Amino acid sequence: MLTTLNYENMVRKVADTLIRAASSCTNDKVNALSKATEDEIIPQSAWAMTCLIENAHEAENSRFPLCDDTGIPHLILETGKELAMPAGLLSAIYEGVALGLKDLPGRPMAVKGNDKERIEQSAGLSSDPSSLPAAPLMLISTDEKVLRLHILMQGGGPEIRAKTYRVFHKHRLETIIDEISDWASESVKLLGCTPCTLAVGIGRSHYEASSLMLQAMLNGNYDVQNDTEHKITESVNKTNVGPLGLHGKHTVLATFLKTGPQRASGVRIVCMRPCCCIEPRKASCVLIKES
Amino acid sequence: MKTITTPITEEIVKGLEIGDMITITGIIYTGRDAVLPRIVSLIEDDCLQNYGIYLKGSVIFHSAVSTAGVGVTSSNKVEIESSMPVLSKAGVRLHLGKGALKPETVIALNKYKSIYAVQPPVTALLNKKILSRKVIAFAELGMEAMHELRVVEFPAVIAAAHGISIY
Repeated sequence: MLTTLNYENMVRKVADTLIRAASSCTNDKVNALSKATEDEIIPQSAWAMTCLIENAHEAENSRFPLCDDTGIPHLILETGKELAMPAGLLSAIYEGVALGLKDLPGRPMAVKGNDKERIEQSAGLSSDPSSLPAAPLMLISTDEKVLRLHILMQGGGPEIRAKTYRVFHKHRLETIIDEISDWASESVKLLGCTPCTLAVGIGRSHYEASSLMLQAMLNGNYDVQNDTEHKITESVNKTNVGPLGLHGKHTVLATFLKTGPQRASGVRIVCMRPCCCIEPRKASCVLIKES
Repeated sequence: MKTITTPITEEIVKGLEIGDMITITGIIYTGRDAVLPRIVSLIEDDCLQNYGIYLKGSVIFHSAVSTAGVGVTSSNKVEIESSMPVLSKAGVRLHLGKGALKPETVIALNKYKSIYAVQPPVTALLNKKILSRKVIAFAELGMEAMHELRVVEFPAVIAAAHGISIY
């Protein structure tokens, strides 16, 4: 059982983590944008990326949202295999998410009503930012003796353009790379908020592929790209869509790929999400650490 | 960088080309998926003036407005893009959003002497450039209601003008 003090500390820590996720860019992301700006040949496209860098600095300094679509909180709980989770932990996490959305402030975009009303958006929106429910919590394990919470804030634009589907791989990695590149090349034309970051998960089911895609967003680093990631990025950059669709060399800054276990079959399930130019919005905190 | 002040005249529109980098200062309206079809209905029913909305020379900014600030949403969403020809015919001179438009929309904008500009999602920067905000129609839509904003030097790039698109 969490003591009252620990409970309140945990709520505040979760709230601060959510605010950091929504109002700050990682250093590797800012550096990637800076390098792309220096390298860009289209003046308007370079200007767009300069605006993004200035926006990142302003958001971090003022703790104000990077984007008014503050996103849907996606929570990943990383726990040591032998670690006992105290009673009250999930309550503290969800209370912290609500407090973070209130203090950020998050965009008041919880859709009210019953199933039909929510789908049709006919009963309006809640005016309370904290009433926005988080997506179902995901649990992953670690060998560390630690309980760590990761928060991703997922915007709507990339969700319109993302795709989870089967690919018949024909026992060639290149088939998968080509399919992902084709999907991404189509989606970036419509995304608007480029340069994007491609997050990709490859697994055995749609659930698993989507989960791996989220982990790819979490673990991805602009300074560390393997051959497959590099090939996908280069392929999509040939579209010349460029920042904000204004053409140029930098449609995609990087690809974050996570490959999971695979089915003994001729099919792979691939989830590809073209994360917009202010994503990934992510932050992490340690909730419990055992010595 | 060209400086544009609202209301926007047809002469100003004539002088703008795709790729032009601009700033917009003055009063602009907001509207996106939920409210723009309602505004189109008001235009078709000839009762827009009952709401105190004057579209001649106006700017429609494809954004929600909330305590989380403002920022462009995709203009190629069905309910937004399909409203653009009617709004242009009613006097909207500049649509501010993001993403590629269909060729038929670009043609319609030209027919009604309207242009399309895009803006990066820079909510934190824009927050400092908004002097005032108020709801002017369909308050029940919350952040998606039509708002009137008084803004200073909103940055944008012209993406469609005179029947030509940058995409």
